[in-house]
Amino acid sequence: MDPSLYLDRNTWVHRLDPRTKMFLLIGMFVLPFVFLDPLYVLAVLVLVLFFGYLAKALTNLRRIWFILVTIAILTVILWSIFGSGQTPLFLFVELEALLYGISIALRIDITVIAGMIFLSTTRNEEVAIGLVRLGIPYRFAFAVSTALRLVPTIVATGFAISEAQRSRGLDLESGNIIQRIRKHVPLLVPVFVSTIRSTNVFSMALESKGFGAGSKRTFFLKTAMGWRDVLVLVAFAALLAGAITLSLAGYGELEGFSR
Amino acid sequence: MKEVLTMWRHTQMVVLVALSAAIYAAILIPFKGFPVVPGAIEIRPANAIPFVVGLLFGPAGAWGAAIGNLIGDFFGTLTLGSIGGFVGNFFLALLPYKMWSAYFRRGENTETNVDSGKKLGVYFAIAVLASVVCATIISWWVDLIGFIPFTATLVLVVLNNAIMGIILGPILLLALYPRIKRFGLLWTEIMAPEEVSASGLRRVGNILVWIGGIGGAAAGLVIGLTGAAPGGLGIGFVVGLFLVLTLVGAFLLGGREQVEAAEEMMGAEESEPERAG
Repeated sequence: MDPSLYLDRNTWVHRLDPRTKMFLLIGMFVLPFVFLDPLYVLAVLVLVLFFGYLAKALTNLRRIWFILVTIAILTVILWSIFGSGQTPLFLFVELEALLYGISIALRIDITVIAGMIFLSTTRNEEVAIGLVRLGIPYRFAFAVSTALRLVPTIVATGFAISEAQRSRGLDLESGNIIQRIRKHVPLLVPVFVSTIRSTNVFSMALESKGFGAGSKRTFFLKTAMGWRDVLVLVAFAALLAGAITLSLAGYGELEGFSR
Repeated sequence: MKEVLTMWRHTQMVVLVALSAAIYAAILIPFKGFPVVPGAIEIRPANAIPFVVGLLFGPAGAWGAAIGNLIGDFFGTLTLGSIGGFVGNFFLALLPYKMWSAYFRRGENTETNVDSGKKLGVYFAIAVLASVVCATIISWWVDLIGFIPFTATLVLVVLNNAIMGIILGPILLLALYPRIKRFGLLWTEIMAPEEVSASGLRRVGNILVWIGGIGGAAAGLVIGLTGAAPGGLGIGFVVGLFLVLTLVGAFLLGGREQVEAAEEMMGAEESEPERAG
């Protein structure tokens, strides 16, 4: 079972520099916040989905659709309760609060889908390289990329240990909640020890290869910003500027709502 | 808090960051949680990991918990809210090791193996406080960006962290501490005293963290329940002030005395065979 969202496709989005994709991700976290009117936020959602279509990344929506729907429903309910408006709808719910809830639900889903597209088109190694090129210290980026790389291995180890313990009679389903929680100890301890045991050998292997010996290092994976990256960044900057201009001109607001 | 930066000099600590993060993220996936709101909120066994890695690996555990939570979001829901999760989980693992020695006098055994009644009591208190601080940070952030109201997330996040920390944490520490010590991987054995903040005002720091954590949560709940604007100046500003207090307290807590105590203990253990010989 591979928990990674990365899809190995050959699209122009995949070929963008990881820094470009990181800036686009940050931009997609900001763009939904420009508007409050659900119709405008819906337009941003359509834009994100179109970008995902171009990146051939929308197949991953099958893995997260339940999270998207659950988040949306809970968000609409919460803001309908905590917000207030001027037009009564039913019971204690006002129309403006409901619309605000829908807008926030769309915002959250946009950020989740944008994150999914980023992870679907960016390999773990590219994430690490991108962080280093953005000025993040190499050791931190190394820790992040190593952790990303090890997760599938530890997941597999976790499943194997779980099956082994179940075959020895471990029953995780019976008992009250505290008993069931405590039964996870025979699963967690072996996973922990088997992983941490390799720390000293791992450290020696790194230092024998010169880890941290110098302040600068070269990389096997070469990345560089090309004309496509510049074009995409300029286009997105123009889009964001246009959205902000529209918002300042009074478009995309939600009248009558108070939080 | 200089040890959160100086720790990066040690390759073992860098590796411990990576492994702690990977363990935290990975355990989220195969070990199902106990549903609170089916499909939406679960109590997850993995939530005990930050307390354990914080007490065993110190600053490496703090960075590992933060990065691990972020990587867990990579496999599910990476959003702007993930920033709150990163910072919240950093403090969830940081506060246990920072606050631990504030409850012991000089000369007392400060090993983090919860093998006594006092150590267990200290662990429970710190676990609850760290859970409250983590929940306050996350709830404050998602309220500030207008995602979810403060009062809707605080209690659930506190319970999610504290329940697992209290039930699983001590058992994991008792099982893991001897092994990690045998591997020579306790943070107090890897780092040098001069790399860790001194703790001249640790009692003041301890009090500030308690006031900041509990005060911030209480203030946020009161403002949220009395109808002040979620996401407005009320919660964002007031709770933010309490979080600053928590941060100041964390800076004052130190941690050097734990490293010095570990050095003394290692020195005593090494001289025992010599005396026996």
